[in-house]
Amino acid sequence: MQVRDYLIRRLLLLPFIMLGVSIVVFTLTRFTGSPIGIYATPNMTPAELAVLEARYLLDQPIPVQYAAWLGGLLQGDLGWSGVSVAPVTAIIGSKITATLELAIAAGLIAILGGIALGTIAGVRRNKAPDHAARLFSILGASTPTFWFGLLLLVPFYLWLDWFPLGRSTAIIFDSIAHPTGLYTLDAVLAGSPTALLDAIRHLILPAVVLAFGAMAIIVRMMRSSMVEAMSEEYVDAARSKGLAESIVIKRHARRNALVPTTTVIGLSFGFLLQGSVAVELIFRWPGLGQWVTSAILAGDQATIMSYVLVTAVIFMSVNLAVDIAYAYLDRRVVLG
Amino acid sequence: MTTLNRSQETSKRASVARESALSVKWARRREVAQEVFRNPLTVLGLIIIGLFFLMALAAPLLTEANTPDPYQSPRDWSNISVPPGEAGHVLGTDATGGDVLYGIIWGSRLSLQLSLTVVGFTLVFGTIVGSIAAMRGGRLDNLLMRVVDVFLSIPELIFALAIAAVLGPSFRNIILALAAVFWVKYARIVRGEIIRIKQAEYVAAAKVTGDSTWNIYRKDVLPNAVSPLVVQATLDMGNVVLIGATLSFIGLAQAGLTEWGAMVSAGQSGLLAGEWWLSTFAGLAIVLWALAFNLVGDGLRDVLDPKTEGR
Amino acid sequence: MARSDDWLLRVDDLSVHFESSKGVAHAVDHVSFDIYPHETLALVGETGCGKSVTARSILRLVPEPPGSYASGSISLRNGDGSVTEILTATERTVRSIRGDRISMIFQDPGKALNPGLTIGRQLAEVFGEHRMSMILGNAGFDPEKPSRTATKIVQQRAGLLERGVYRLTHLRAPKALQKSIDDSVMEALADTGIPNPRKMLGSYPHELSGGMKQRVMIAQALACDPDLLIADEPTTALDVTIQARILDLIHEMQQRRGMAILYITHDLSLVRQFADRVAVMYAGRLAEIGPSAEVLASPQHPYTQGLLAAIPRPATPRGQLAAIPGTVPQLIDPPAQCHFASRCSFAAAACHEVTPQLLTIAEKRDVSCHRFDTASRIGVSPQDMPSAATLGGVASS
Repeated sequence: MQVRDYLIRRLLLLPFIMLGVSIVVFTLTRFTGSPIGIYATPNMTPAELAVLEARYLLDQPIPVQYAAWLGGLLQGDLGWSGVSVAPVTAIIGSKITATLELAIAAGLIAILGGIALGTIAGVRRNKAPDHAARLFSILGASTPTFWFGLLLLVPFYLWLDWFPLGRSTAIIFDSIAHPTGLYTLDAVLAGSPTALLDAIRHLILPAVVLAFGAMAIIVRMMRSSMVEAMSEEYVDAARSKGLAESIVIKRHARRNALVPTTTVIGLSFGFLLQGSVAVELIFRWPGLGQWVTSAILAGDQATIMSYVLVTAVIFMSVNLAVDIAYAYLDRRVVLG
Repeated sequence: MTTLNRSQETSKRASVARESALSVKWARRREVAQEVFRNPLTVLGLIIIGLFFLMALAAPLLTEANTPDPYQSPRDWSNISVPPGEAGHVLGTDATGGDVLYGIIWGSRLSLQLSLTVVGFTLVFGTIVGSIAAMRGGRLDNLLMRVVDVFLSIPELIFALAIAAVLGPSFRNIILALAAVFWVKYARIVRGEIIRIKQAEYVAAAKVTGDSTWNIYRKDVLPNAVSPLVVQATLDMGNVVLIGATLSFIGLAQAGLTEWGAMVSAGQSGLLAGEWWLSTFAGLAIVLWALAFNLVGDGLRDVLDPKTEGR
Repeated sequence: MARSDDWLLRVDDLSVHFESSKGVAHAVDHVSFDIYPHETLALVGETGCGKSVTARSILRLVPEPPGSYASGSISLRNGDGSVTEILTATERTVRSIRGDRISMIFQDPGKALNPGLTIGRQLAEVFGEHRMSMILGNAGFDPEKPSRTATKIVQQRAGLLERGVYRLTHLRAPKALQKSIDDSVMEALADTGIPNPRKMLGSYPHELSGGMKQRVMIAQALACDPDLLIADEPTTALDVTIQARILDLIHEMQQRRGMAILYITHDLSLVRQFADRVAVMYAGRLAEIGPSAEVLASPQHPYTQGLLAAIPRPATPRGQLAAIPGTVPQLIDPPAQCHFASRCSFAAAACHEVTPQLLTIAEKRDVSCHRFDTASRIGVSPQDMPSAATLGGVASS
């Protein structure tokens, strides 16, 4: 019950926090030279600009401006993206799905790989696999994602030409329909092996690079919870029933060690979101990260502002989902 | 008569408890230091940090500072894109003839400046905010923690990126942006620790002595909240440079700056032509810096926080 | 040594060592004893004396680094008269013994049951491991030709996809399998007096009381009718009121099933009530072993004497609890001497130089104490020997 109350409190607070985030973003927009820049499209006449200024009450005190800005936001006006030469709302959808596809792929690698490596490290504590895992962990926490990306780019793209840059080969991409916006999924749905292969070939390298940092966190957590689980009495009790060691590790120790690891998964998603900025830049992946980096260089405020808002919403949602999942798991595993 | 004696006694007992807690604390500090030095990895980290600090501080001695801006590599226009070891450039030169080694050395100064400033500020500011929230409690606490929650809803890099973009690309703005973002972590930690400590007995005993809240805070509460702060600050010395380098890499620092992230970025185009040295060495510097602080931070955590299962 | 050949389990010269940063600890040091069918043998001693390690060695549960079986053997007699050497047998053989011929119940049922699995699943594991033919047979399968997927399902090793496919292709079979498993589990639970076994199938350990959890553990341990039940301090973690009920349950089950019980405990009153024989351990070695009534009435080893004297009785005047002076010695690289010598009121020079052997002083009574030995046999001069003692005459301290 205590946990449920906590979750309900979180849910109730959510709109307030989002409001707070909007205030922060709004404050940032007032720091720029001209707040009207968010909405102004090139080639606007002074008359049109004046209309905009009136609509967004730019001659009024700040709180009023905020209300106007927020109102516009809620009605779907996120401004004009100079970098993409279109209203933000028109193109942000495809950016989001591109980044999500990358983040999900990287997340899967990080979670599956991290759990596997962490389990082995925890079971073979203080032996070779454990030392390797800990080396991996600390390198993952110390290596800048952008540098790691370049490090892998040179051999795999430059020398071996195994993996191309970007997200897709245009011809193949255009040959199938895109109901979900996730290239890999769309390829499967369209039943096109060529498209699927194309999607995967482009996805692998950036996903692996992105996964590195997140995987390091997960390995570390999984290792320590496995070490703890393996020393629990129920593991010995399971052995005393005659079960094979692999079953003891998988069904008894690991299952319980996974519970505290879910808390880290939310944390590592933040890592993935942040890492996507550099990864998308380096691998020319057409997602939110690449979008915002070009926006920075061009001074495109609408893009930057929308980027912060969208990532905050995604981040908060994922964290809440992870907390709910953890609460559900923990209810069963209550330490009695 | 009896009530006076009772409170006198409690007062005496409280100060005795405080005294013994204090002496335990100093003995404990020495124990901790010994424990920390016993771990070879931690010692390795400390050595690397020491070397970086020396390099940063001795930069004007190791190389001749460039004029007018020492943080721009001196351009050797007759030797552009030269591989390491040639023409007197130990680590080679970049596409404008800038000496890579010079960049690494002066870059360490920038890293030192960045990390010390940001961590110093955020540690102090975060501690203040967290302390006020935890000691006062009530509506102030609620308000401050909501602010913290809002800040925490935006991933650090992204938040700092937005701030730095808005302020304009410069190294100084990177420092400001990171400072504005990182303090919340410390506020959260401090508040959590203080709330935990407030429930301990010796604080109740101290309160009975009628000591001012400030004194109780200073003598009983704060010293015991220090451990997780020290660990986090150490780790952040590394993290700040990592994130700062990423921001420079994206382009939020001045052009040509001898900042490691900016150097990696400048070396990108060279990579395709096989000129690996700029990006590689600059990147290695970042990795070593972060690795060193991670090793020390981990070592400290193993010693100070008994909950985490280390060895 | 007083031993006959109709033993069920023979522990012979068992030594278990543990590597630690301070050296090699001799947790169990040349311990020998037999367990006979249907009997209850209590293994008593204070914390750290090696009784738990000895018990776990029987099932080869000691983790092999840092532990190692430095000497000795543990032999289990099979139904056909052959003998299985547990310490040298293959992993598969040992696994077939665990849970089937020898079972173990643990001290804290809250910790010994997996918090993340239902009771039903945990008990089902035992049946899946050791009673596959029976389960399959009861579900209508031919146990001679088991379907691979069916066996995997019973052992809970079939993946989600596999099970789904199987469910689609085999109509009623999956339900029959589950019913067969559930029936066996419920029967095992009901046998220990658990009310509403069906509800228990889907319950999690944290939903049960301490006493109920221990009942479940007992049900699990006895599910396959073992010949030997090892009970490692089964009531220490329970409320006093529940303790008696659990002990009664264990012994009721013994009456019905006829298994032998190895009782690990530090509580001598339990020994008096339930054990046929008792073995006293001190610092990794056996001090004394014999029928419990006799040992308790006239203990021969100075340590046992001290233990019994230390039990507070209503007549003991206040403030006068007898304690054995001194502390338990280090187990790291122990010198050749009697471990109890420094605390023993009878100790003499020989006691500090020669390790005592386990000697038979009467039928089925063994003691390891130089007081029952001869100077010539040990190889010391007579003045180095402690005052001699014989069974029946407890020398004054």
